[in-house]
Amino acid sequence: MTAARNAREPVVITGVGTVSPLGSSFDEVADALLAGRSGVRSIDPGPHAREAVQFAAPVSGIPTPSREACSLDAEGFARLGRLERLCLAPAAAAVADAGLPTTGGRIGLVLGLGAEHLKTWELDFLDGGTRVFDGDRDRSLVHRLARLLGLRGPALTVAAACASSGYAMALGRTWIDSGWIDACLVGGCDILSPTSIAAFYNMRALSRRTDDPAKASRPFDGDRDGFVMGEGGAFFMLERRSAAAARGVHIRGELAGVGMSSDGLHMVIPSTDPVHAARAIVAALADAGVAPDEVDYVNAHAAGTPVGDVAEAGAIRMALGPAADGIPVSSTKSMSGHLISGAAAFEALACLAAIDRQAAPPTVNLDHPDPGCVLDHVPHVARPRTIRVAASNSFGFGGSNLCLVLRAA
Amino acid sequence: MNAHPHSRGRAAPACAIRGHAYVEAPFTGVAALRDQPSPPSAPALPARFLRHCDEQTVVAVRAVLDVLSRLDEPPTPESCGVVAAPCQAGRIVTARSLSQLRTGGAVTVSPHIVPQCSLHSVAGAVSVALGLHGPHLGIGGGPEALAEGLFAAFSLFECGACTSCWLLLSDWEREPALDAAGGPLGDPVCRGLALLLVPEPAACPGATRVVLAEPSGLVAPLSTDDEPVDLAAFSRVIGMCAAGAALTAWGVPCPWPARIRVESRPAASASHRREAA
Repeated sequence: MTAARNAREPVVITGVGTVSPLGSSFDEVADALLAGRSGVRSIDPGPHAREAVQFAAPVSGIPTPSREACSLDAEGFARLGRLERLCLAPAAAAVADAGLPTTGGRIGLVLGLGAEHLKTWELDFLDGGTRVFDGDRDRSLVHRLARLLGLRGPALTVAAACASSGYAMALGRTWIDSGWIDACLVGGCDILSPTSIAAFYNMRALSRRTDDPAKASRPFDGDRDGFVMGEGGAFFMLERRSAAAARGVHIRGELAGVGMSSDGLHMVIPSTDPVHAARAIVAALADAGVAPDEVDYVNAHAAGTPVGDVAEAGAIRMALGPAADGIPVSSTKSMSGHLISGAAAFEALACLAAIDRQAAPPTVNLDHPDPGCVLDHVPHVARPRTIRVAASNSFGFGGSNLCLVLRAA
Repeated sequence: MNAHPHSRGRAAPACAIRGHAYVEAPFTGVAALRDQPSPPSAPALPARFLRHCDEQTVVAVRAVLDVLSRLDEPPTPESCGVVAAPCQAGRIVTARSLSQLRTGGAVTVSPHIVPQCSLHSVAGAVSVALGLHGPHLGIGGGPEALAEGLFAAFSLFECGACTSCWLLLSDWEREPALDAAGGPLGDPVCRGLALLLVPEPAACPGATRVVLAEPSGLVAPLSTDDEPVDLAAFSRVIGMCAAGAALTAWGVPCPWPARIRVESRPAASASHRREAA
């Protein structure tokens, strides 16, 4: 992948859109991340809750897309289901931010979304519907989004569990690299739902720190007890650097490297042998033409699970070698919660924020770093430093490993 | 896709089919496959490996094992990827789970529903079952999944992420209607097709090719109203190609203006590909 990639023109990010527990614009999210603000709070447990007290990182408001990027008016947007609105709003915002006319162009769409039908059936059922029982085949959300956004290139949904939206970015870059399309809208989103919360809770994957929700998400901390679910995500417009330069548009960064691998070991539990996750990180750095000591910041997948955080720390050390001692590593899930399908894209956005603000976001709640996770942590407060290259890890159920490298424009 | 300046001079993306198998089973027959998925001379899976899996995963895994039972040499695990494109997988388990949620509350929700009934689950199960270390992806999830899965497999080869790739396509012959407890009405048939794909330069001469093509001039004009291709029909075409039938252009319409062409012409040799480039 490296030789071919380095010979090709850089693929850059010219549009960003987000809807998240930390805000609904790049600046709102960057401000929150650098200030160490948490989006985790108590939520209405509803009639199907597992426990009387529940907490998560919800999205509190979904902005209506501008008409320049979306064919729906405010009323039409309000009639959509919540999952569609959570995906369409940031996707349209990324299109508008890029300022790229969609008419006549070859613009693709890759949506990272891991359980579209499960969530759609569930939300319909809870609303009194019967779609899950009816035996109908529903067109995928990604094609409805493409139509609403006026995108006429290839469009598909990709799922790799919690790495889904990162794989969406990887596929979109490949399509541009290959000359199949000129630009691609990529990203992903997810939604909180009673079944998903209950399933993760019953798996004992969620934190049970009900007495203090804002302290519950504590990646790499010795007292961590699981992750906190969140919702939302991020979308990006990718295009060739020459095309972006010709349009005179602001380039937010380059999607410089992608590395991917699988553990091939277990449907849920990550491998304790770091070799396969490390392979994805090494491949991403090679793809970007970046040496380990050129990495200025690592946004870790670290969700706050006892096994996963230790495994990732080992993978980072194996991949970066001695350079790991001087590279700040943080998990922004400590503030955003775990956005599941949307996590990888949101954390790529966090890397762009680190590059834009020249500071590594912190891992809040990191009071007592786990001795099994020896890294150059950024506890509690952001660390100002020169950040030109940032790497973002994403790992998912089934042993899916992905690393993205983002570089300053 | 050759006319655009950024793709000028490059051959249309193509790959070859190294092995294929099609499996279908009625709902009442899936349990037997779940308990005993491996045919003779195929790798044995760990006991009860499929016990929590969705029906589409069960038939897809069986199709993969059928291919492996006929291969002289399995693909290299280090660089073998998986693309699985199921169609509305997980419906029966989800319906049961939701029925139980209403009556018994959240405590009844199985922790397996997320890892085993999401879009990535079929790909994850095959990746884990065979110990593969290339990327594994779930693709599509809806009625357009066949074309989307093929396109995703092209994409993995294009970025050099793997040297071989399992493409798994699965659905219900007719989407099952379910009773209030989530049980299927009648005995719907679950279908799975496994294709072992390799990039074209790595293919044996004579292998069936799958080519990504724009509509202009290559195949019949594309109608955006094209119905998605039926999985069994697609499987028959693959079988005819493998048997040497003189099929030159059988198109799978994509949900965007393109077609994916299946043909039984001999795959180009590596030297031909270099010349074409």
